[in-house]
Amino acid sequence: MSSNYSVTLLGPAPWGFRLQGGKDFSMPLTISRLTDGGKAAKGGIGIGDMVLSIDGIATEGMNHLEAQNKIKSCSGNLSLKLQ
Amino acid sequence: MMTMTQMETTVHYDNGYDEYQYMNQEDEWDRDNLLDPAWEQQQRKTFTAWCNSHLRKAGTQIENIEEDFRNGLKLMLLLEVISGERLPKPDRGKMRFHKIANVNKALEYITSKGVKLVSIGAEEIVDGNVKMTLGMIWTIILRFAIQDINVEETSAKEGLLLWCQRKTAPYRNVNVQNFHVSWKDGLAFCALIHRHRPDLLDYSKLNKDDPLGNLNLAFDIAEKHLDIPKMLDAEDIINTPKPDERAIMTYMSCFYHAFAGAEQAETAANRICKVLGVNQENEKMMEEYERLASELLEWIRRTTPWLENRTPEKTMAEMQQKLEDFRDYRRQHKPPKVQEKCQLEINFNTLQTKLRISNRPAFMPSEGKMVSDIASAWQGLDQAEKGYEEWLLTEIRRLERLDHLAEKFRQKATNHENWASGKELILSQKDYETATLMEIKALLRKHEAFESDLAAHQDRVEQIAAIAQELNELDYHDVAAVNQRCQSICDLWDRLGTLTQKRREALERTDKLLETIDQLFIEFAKRLAPFNNWMEGAMEDLQDMFIVHTIEEVQSLIAAHEQFKATLPEADAERQALLGIHNEVQKISQSYGIKANIVNPYSTLTTEDLIEKWDKVKKLVPQRDGALHEEMARQHANERLRRQFAAQANLIGPWIQIRMEEIGRCSLEIGGTLEDQMTQLKQCEHVIVAYKPNVDKLEGDHQLIQESLVFDNKHTNYTMEHIRVGWELLLTTVARTINEIETQILTRDAKGISQQQMKEFRSSFNHFDRKKNGAMETDDFRACLISMGYDLGEVEFARIMILVDPNGTGNVSFQSFIDFMTRETADTDTADQVVASFRILATDKPYILMEELRRELPPEQAEYCIMRMPPYAVSGAPPGALDYTAFSTALYGESDL
Repeated sequence: MSSNYSVTLLGPAPWGFRLQGGKDFSMPLTISRLTDGGKAAKGGIGIGDMVLSIDGIATEGMNHLEAQNKIKSCSGNLSLKLQ
Repeated sequence: MMTMTQMETTVHYDNGYDEYQYMNQEDEWDRDNLLDPAWEQQQRKTFTAWCNSHLRKAGTQIENIEEDFRNGLKLMLLLEVISGERLPKPDRGKMRFHKIANVNKALEYITSKGVKLVSIGAEEIVDGNVKMTLGMIWTIILRFAIQDINVEETSAKEGLLLWCQRKTAPYRNVNVQNFHVSWKDGLAFCALIHRHRPDLLDYSKLNKDDPLGNLNLAFDIAEKHLDIPKMLDAEDIINTPKPDERAIMTYMSCFYHAFAGAEQAETAANRICKVLGVNQENEKMMEEYERLASELLEWIRRTTPWLENRTPEKTMAEMQQKLEDFRDYRRQHKPPKVQEKCQLEINFNTLQTKLRISNRPAFMPSEGKMVSDIASAWQGLDQAEKGYEEWLLTEIRRLERLDHLAEKFRQKATNHENWASGKELILSQKDYETATLMEIKALLRKHEAFESDLAAHQDRVEQIAAIAQELNELDYHDVAAVNQRCQSICDLWDRLGTLTQKRREALERTDKLLETIDQLFIEFAKRLAPFNNWMEGAMEDLQDMFIVHTIEEVQSLIAAHEQFKATLPEADAERQALLGIHNEVQKISQSYGIKANIVNPYSTLTTEDLIEKWDKVKKLVPQRDGALHEEMARQHANERLRRQFAAQANLIGPWIQIRMEEIGRCSLEIGGTLEDQMTQLKQCEHVIVAYKPNVDKLEGDHQLIQESLVFDNKHTNYTMEHIRVGWELLLTTVARTINEIETQILTRDAKGISQQQMKEFRSSFNHFDRKKNGAMETDDFRACLISMGYDLGEVEFARIMILVDPNGTGNVSFQSFIDFMTRETADTDTADQVVASFRILATDKPYILMEELRRELPPEQAEYCIMRMPPYAVSGAPPGALDYTAFSTALYGESDL
């Protein structure tokens, strides 16, 4: 049973991860790559983890562009809930 | 008294006489007092008077004391008169010796009276010796007038003196101490007279200083009234210093005899009176006794019958009244009688004592009034009393007991009557006629309870009878009513017994009948149930909507039906039996008059139901026959259809199979170009399409079969569905395969994959397609990659899997495989290529403007980009700047953030 966890990365961007997937790709939004020493890596995010919510907003139904925009719109800190 | 006597003893007389010595005074007399002539004188007078006082009773007197006694005759006379005795006859001669003889007789007589005559001889007397004569007379006086004086046990001279003293004691101025000087003032004489006869002189008027008067007065009165002649001379006494003692003694002795005599007479009279009085008293007492005795006896006589009365009273109150009366008697009436009796006894005793004391003969009560009579009568009374009291108490007890018994009887009888009331009616009920079995059982139990209640009451009835019996024996006053009630109770009891018995019999009989009926009902129900089931089952079966698909089924149904028909006679018999039971029940209840509503409690089904169902069953049998035969026909028809279908399907099925194999082979083939494959496939397709009518026809047959509701077909393994699916699969397979080839051609052309590469890809794919189903499974793919030299970690492999199997089907298609392989061997990242392309259009700016898009791209694509591209939100960028990088990465689903 994989557990959910929340991470808040201190801004600003870049966060240091590659986001893959989306409703339009019929794939869940997942972290496909981490930049070594990047904020995401330091924040404890793992490769393959699914992004459940971005800044408190659930990613269910989001297409890739929407998710991308959402992350990009976070000025300051980025709060993610992952699995 | 004693003092007087003592005083007496101390008195000394002047003449020297000693008190106790005057019996012998002849001796002294010889010596002295006659020397005094005064005394002689006095004595003469006194003695003469004295003798005359006696002699006058003989009718004679003396004049001269020394002369008249000389012949002795008057002397003898005197003695006779004084003594009251006869002397020897005097000698009647005149001669001296006659006179001496007479005087001697007299002297002998005197001597015979116990007087010692010393120196007094008859001769001196005959000779007229004064001294002797006086002495002799004095001896006589002493002996006959003084000697016998007895006063308070003092005799003679002392006695006389004592007498004088006693009698004069009350007179203060009189003090008699002697017979001489005490008498000189005459008061003593007067006092003495006055003491005895106060009526003769007034003592208070006497004067001590007038002795002469006193003396004369006394002498006069004595002579006149007391018959005492004067013997003393008053002057002599006064003049003589000491008067002659003897003279005074002589005179006083006369007083003594006069008064004492009077006293004696008085005493005698008193004695007589006393005696008479005692007599009278006694007589009175006797009378009183007699009277009391009579009364008492009378009372006893009256009372005894009352106490012996044994008439019983009826009620206790009356008896108690009697007891009360008895108590009254005991408390009030008897005690005085007891006292009377006691008094009577006392009186009797007193009387007897008095009589005894007074020397009288004992009192003899008259006949029937004797002490013993009284005692026995009294005893009788006591016994009667006791008996009466006992009887009263016994009676009261008896009445009490009777009352108690009577009350007990009443109570018990009432209780019993209360209990028994209404029982007759209840027992006479005919409720069992309309009772059901349960009700009868309840009634029986109730009756049982009643029977034991009855038995329990048996005791009580017996008790009541016993009490009645006892009341009879004890003679209760209202025994008639008791007996009547007892009788009616007993009669009722008998009746109850009879009714109880009858009811028991009726109940038991009815119970048995109802039991029998019940049993019949049970049997009926027991048999009806399965029979009903059978009928229901039969009805069901007969109406059974059979769905048969084979002729055999119909045949077996028909066979079953025939079998069933064979069981009908047996069933009918059962039916008859059941009806028979019912009829029997009817018969029983009719013949025994059971009026209850006889309903079978064990079964809700009635005979009507039974009959109805049976009829139905009967009807259904031929119906089923018909139905079955119809069905048989149908089945035959179906069979024909089946065969028809089967024949067809058996052709088509394999044909499809062959085609599928063809196609499979074709797609897997490595030799020859894709175009060749394509051509083959197209040909195949053509053939397939041309074959369609066969399938359609089969569909038609199938429809018929379906319309006939035939769902199975043992003549073929192919169902319509099979054929249909197979057909469609064939169609799709051929189309897909063609498509695959087309795609492969496209890919080959697009990626520039040579025929050789294609063949390699194909052979690798086929090799790792273990299952040979045109797709690689995950493990197959992994193995494939490894064989190609990819050393993959799990994460990377997972990424790759996501790429090749985005839908997570677990299978990698040949196309995906080729895509993956070609992608991996490609040099460039297509996302980067797109970004690079946009950069060129944006003249190296990190953002692109709308007019640039519109200028460089076809309008549709330009608008598409404008709509989709996010704004480029970096400071310094002009408005309307669009982020083509984000867009491009988003296109490929991969953004670096």
